[in-house]
Amino acid sequence: MKMAALCSEFGDLLQIKKQLISVISLCKERGLLHSAKWASELAFALDPLPKDELPPTSPLTEEDAQDLDALTLAKSYFDLKEYDRAAYFLKGCRSQKAYFLYMYSRYLSGEKKKDDETVDSLGPLEKGQVRNEALRELRVELSKKHTAGELDGFTLYLYGVVLRKLDLPKEAVDVFVEGIHALPLHWGAWLELSNLVTNIEMLKSLSLPDCWIKDFFMAHMYTELQMIKEALQKYQNLIEAGFSKSTYIISQIAVAYHNIRDIDQALALFNELREQDPYRIDNMDTFSNLLYVKSMKPELSYLAHNLVEIDKYRVETCCVIGNYYSLRSQHEKAALYFQRALKLNPRCLGAWTLMGHEYMEMKNTSAAIQAYRHAIEVNKRDYRAWYGLGQTYEILKMPFYCLYYYRKAHQLRPNDSRMLVALGESYEKLSQQAEAKKCYWRAYSVGDVEKMALLKLAKLHEQLNESDDAAQCYMLYIQDIFSCGEQLEHAEVSTALRYLGQYYFKNKLYDEASLCAQRCCDYNDAREEGKALLRQISQVRDQIETPSADLFAPLSNNNTPVRRVSPLNLISFTP
Amino acid sequence: MMTNGVVHANVFGIKDWVTPYKISVLALLYEMTASKITLPERRRLNKLILPLQQGPDLTLGQFLKTKSILSHLISFYHLLHEMADGELKDMEYFFSTLPTPFTAFDTEAYKTSVVGLFMRHMLLAYNKLSFSQVYKLYKSLQHYYHSHYAKPMDGQVPALVADDSEMDLTSIEDTVGDRVDKEELDTPLHESELQGPLSQKQAEYFLARQAYLLKNDENKALKPAALQEELNNMLKFNPDFAEAHYLNYLNSMRVQDIFLSAHSLLHYFDRLILSGNDGKSNGDEGYGRSLRYAALNLASLHCRFGHYQQADLALQEAIRIAQESNDHVCLQHCLSWLYTLEQMKGSDSTVLTEDSVKMAAHFCLPYLASLGIQSLVQQGATQGKTAHKLMDALKDTDILHWKHSLSELIEISLAQTTSIWRMYGKSTMSLQQAQLLLNMSSLEPVNFGVQQNNTEGFAVVLCHLAELHAEQVCFRVLGCSSKQIILHLKEQFPPHTQHAKLWMLCDLKIQFERHMNEGKYHLAEPLVTAIAALNQTEGLYRKAQVLKALNRNTEAYHILQQLQARCEKAKCTEMVIRVMLSTAELHWESSGFSTALPVLLQALALARQHHLQSLASETILHLAFTQLMLGVPEQALNVLHEAIEPILAHRAVMDKGRAMLLAARCQMAVAGFKPNRQGQAAASALDTLNEAAAYFSQLNCKERLRDVHYLQAQLHRSLGQILESNKSAMLFRLLDQELQSPAPPVSMRL
Repeated sequence: MKMAALCSEFGDLLQIKKQLISVISLCKERGLLHSAKWASELAFALDPLPKDELPPTSPLTEEDAQDLDALTLAKSYFDLKEYDRAAYFLKGCRSQKAYFLYMYSRYLSGEKKKDDETVDSLGPLEKGQVRNEALRELRVELSKKHTAGELDGFTLYLYGVVLRKLDLPKEAVDVFVEGIHALPLHWGAWLELSNLVTNIEMLKSLSLPDCWIKDFFMAHMYTELQMIKEALQKYQNLIEAGFSKSTYIISQIAVAYHNIRDIDQALALFNELREQDPYRIDNMDTFSNLLYVKSMKPELSYLAHNLVEIDKYRVETCCVIGNYYSLRSQHEKAALYFQRALKLNPRCLGAWTLMGHEYMEMKNTSAAIQAYRHAIEVNKRDYRAWYGLGQTYEILKMPFYCLYYYRKAHQLRPNDSRMLVALGESYEKLSQQAEAKKCYWRAYSVGDVEKMALLKLAKLHEQLNESDDAAQCYMLYIQDIFSCGEQLEHAEVSTALRYLGQYYFKNKLYDEASLCAQRCCDYNDAREEGKALLRQISQVRDQIETPSADLFAPLSNNNTPVRRVSPLNLISFTP
Repeated sequence: MMTNGVVHANVFGIKDWVTPYKISVLALLYEMTASKITLPERRRLNKLILPLQQGPDLTLGQFLKTKSILSHLISFYHLLHEMADGELKDMEYFFSTLPTPFTAFDTEAYKTSVVGLFMRHMLLAYNKLSFSQVYKLYKSLQHYYHSHYAKPMDGQVPALVADDSEMDLTSIEDTVGDRVDKEELDTPLHESELQGPLSQKQAEYFLARQAYLLKNDENKALKPAALQEELNNMLKFNPDFAEAHYLNYLNSMRVQDIFLSAHSLLHYFDRLILSGNDGKSNGDEGYGRSLRYAALNLASLHCRFGHYQQADLALQEAIRIAQESNDHVCLQHCLSWLYTLEQMKGSDSTVLTEDSVKMAAHFCLPYLASLGIQSLVQQGATQGKTAHKLMDALKDTDILHWKHSLSELIEISLAQTTSIWRMYGKSTMSLQQAQLLLNMSSLEPVNFGVQQNNTEGFAVVLCHLAELHAEQVCFRVLGCSSKQIILHLKEQFPPHTQHAKLWMLCDLKIQFERHMNEGKYHLAEPLVTAIAALNQTEGLYRKAQVLKALNRNTEAYHILQQLQARCEKAKCTEMVIRVMLSTAELHWESSGFSTALPVLLQALALARQHHLQSLASETILHLAFTQLMLGVPEQALNVLHEAIEPILAHRAVMDKGRAMLLAARCQMAVAGFKPNRQGQAAASALDTLNEAAAYFSQLNCKERLRDVHYLQAQLHRSLGQILESNKSAMLFRLLDQELQSPAPPVSMRL
């Protein structure tokens, strides 16, 4: 049933395939390589068409026929990156295709020159002045044609790109939307649009054509806007609708899992991706981040070597190698590779942040601040850079100062426990216990990744002599640690057990106290105390023979506001 | 090094770059060294050289305008024209023919001369350029040249160019076509796109200028929005320009934007840390220092916005870091902020301030030391320290100020003296000090045609001046009324600025007083809310006054009780005394004259203890009235004589009138008991009444004028002067009709 519904939603897969094939050829003719690549990847994921179903090549118009020779010549120059030459030979052509290629080569030529010129600029006077000189002319010509309504989908896309480069985002959005309506299958236009959408309200306000490709766009947008749940749902739908073999979707899902820090899922997907597409370099920096977090040295090393063999001058490769060195604690080399990545692509956000982390490791705080600030410059919404800045100032022992940065990071990721724990720690250092408590509790409520919030909260309560609350938090902490199954290195179960033992002992709950004390004996650092407590308990028990039925009486009288777990629940946990 | 996402190959900190403007300067210098010119012309040229070399890049048009030596222009212009309209080799040739400073011994271009140094710099910079950079330089030179000479129609071109135009006719024709195209291109774009980025020096100049203006005369600086736009533009092209962030912070403070200002401040310090570090030292230099000041600045930011708890936390942090690195200067700054913060929070910070002064003196920080002393003086004045001690302290700090040329502190000190004199009720002294400050020429160098008159001191002094003028209704001699002063304040300190609240409160108070004096209570009432918004205590007091005037005594009494408790807690003696006086007046309303006496005596004691002369004489006035009412007019007259001199010398016109009226009534009462000397006494009472009437009519205070006429009529009648008596009666009748409210019994008020 579900399949049927989806099928009707997505139309015929066959139809989609046909559309894809035709758009691939259109993109290829115009030199739009990335869109062609994306469409081809998607088309590859679908079943091949029977011979007679293949879409016919579009018929040539009179103009096309006239421009054919010039176009073929220009296209070959274009492919060889001789853009000015291509533009020169296309100048008189009148067909739409030739016009697009003409404008596009002029645009690319300007971009190429801009990149070349930045290397030998005339010093600080010209700093930032370097820009694509062709943009203005292109804009004027295109806007004339635009008002005359002579632009097709591809030229509209180009017009949008030009507007975006001229820092006119509003106009650009309008033009991209128009372009998408004219040619919904061109993924490049969608992608450009996604860069301009900043929030969900804006996304909702756009009027987009109702096409199957819109689902891809929405899923992409949700990932960008950190609405991971919705994004995953969308991708799941797409897989069920028949795109299960698409590497694009798999990689996107993996990235989404990476964003919500579901590391295992993401790793599994990336491994699957590498099996299907062993020479893929895209997204491999994300993969290496995951491997880094998991400290999987051999895997990361293998990945790095593999990527170097494929292409060592790619941003992703450099990032992977940087991560590799960082994991091996060779931070200077790591920073070097991140710098290389930035040389290859100065707008590569991840590399700036990672470089900041490396400088932090090297205790070079000022360089770290510089790197983080650059990252923020590229993207103000980069929470990791804000968080990194906060950490830097925390290392410099400025807890109040770093609050600002942590708060920024928290704003961007309201449900990330790490920022909340960091905020809590800073507040604790400023002896603002009330705020600190709030932060820790909130961190626990949003799902604590590092399982530290409860412990810290408990210790805070302990400091403030709020023993009931402290015991409550330790209890929850122990539950939390054991329920997640695996052993965490920093786990301080023994501390919690020790405290709980004393707490029960003070409250005359000897059964529970002895249970805790026994558990304490399982840990090296708490063994002596556990034994001592056990002795104390037995002494007290000898003195007063209390019926165990009364044991729970004082506890129930004790009406603390927080939830209370019966102490006997401990039995179910085995360390 | 990377900026704006651009990798810069050159990281060796070379500040000199060959630009088209520099080439034109070079050409000029070249001409100067090559040709022989007359001595006076040479002198004029010599004066120009330094500004030209060190100033920001100018466009060719501006450059030509700054040059006044026209006879030179031709040859210099020829050179430039040759290069711009020729080929690349012309520029190369130019550089190769520049006199090398090492060979030319006799000319100005000798290697150690200003010109020679500049030429050497330029030659070095030029020789470092790569092939494509040289080509680019040439291109930009052409653009530079043509952007000026391609528009002869604008009429901006000096006349001389028109003379020469036969030789560059071709070039004009060549470029006109391009220009039309360009204009067409330019029109649809944003304005910001059109104005190119500023060069480093231009930007620095811009920032320095704006920051100076913000500090000294905000009105002359760019409007907040315009400045913001400029800064955004600047930062877009050069995000590393840390100072721009700081100016951004200052600008956001102007519009009270906490988020943006905090953001910019932190950004500035982040950037500063980058630029200012050589090692990782935590010592006096390096970025450890800027960290401390970053925290301190953050504290001051929160302080400005009234977030005292946040400010406190930031300050603690600054103090801790400063302590760790043994930075006494920074600690000292922190300490002075600490006592300021304590003061703002309303707690007693005398001990802290004293400590701060001692430490500052120890570390030879005159600024902080005398700032502390001033703060101590302020606290001492409110706490009733003896006057001569305060004045002595101020005098000592003044010596210190003049010695170290601390002009800001001199201003503050003068403003403080004005306030203290005013508090003590010596309006003439206060007036003199205020005039002294306003007429003093500042010690600071006058930059950008702006004298520093934007400080809090000026605002305070002007407010005092306005109030003093208002009290005297108006100073006709100076031709300047309080209204004009307020208008000036409004212009000088626009409502959004930091010190605007001072004049707002002052303005409201003046209006309130005027309405109360004229008996227009319904107009005074709405002002109370406005006053309360600016100063709660003052607002409560005024509210009680209005309620009292409207005969809502119970409410007024409650408010006064509340106010007294609050002011006693805050040690606000002036207000306590005023509240006591008002309470005594309320007692009169219920004929409780004997209950008013202890209150008044307490008030008198307080006023004397704190040397508040004006309040003391006001209290004596009240006492005399009470005694009159209690039936001891001789006593009252005696007491009154004690106060009448200071009142006539220093108090407002209203008080003068009231004092005279009271004196007349006392005289009448005294005369009433001794019928034999009635005639003489009545005559002197009449004189006093006439004087009072003059004061009241000046104020347009009709109610009291009515009372005066009533008494006048009575006196005239008792003297048998029927005509005068009738005249006064008629005046009384007219006023009574006009006022329409039933006259309160004459006896019941002061």
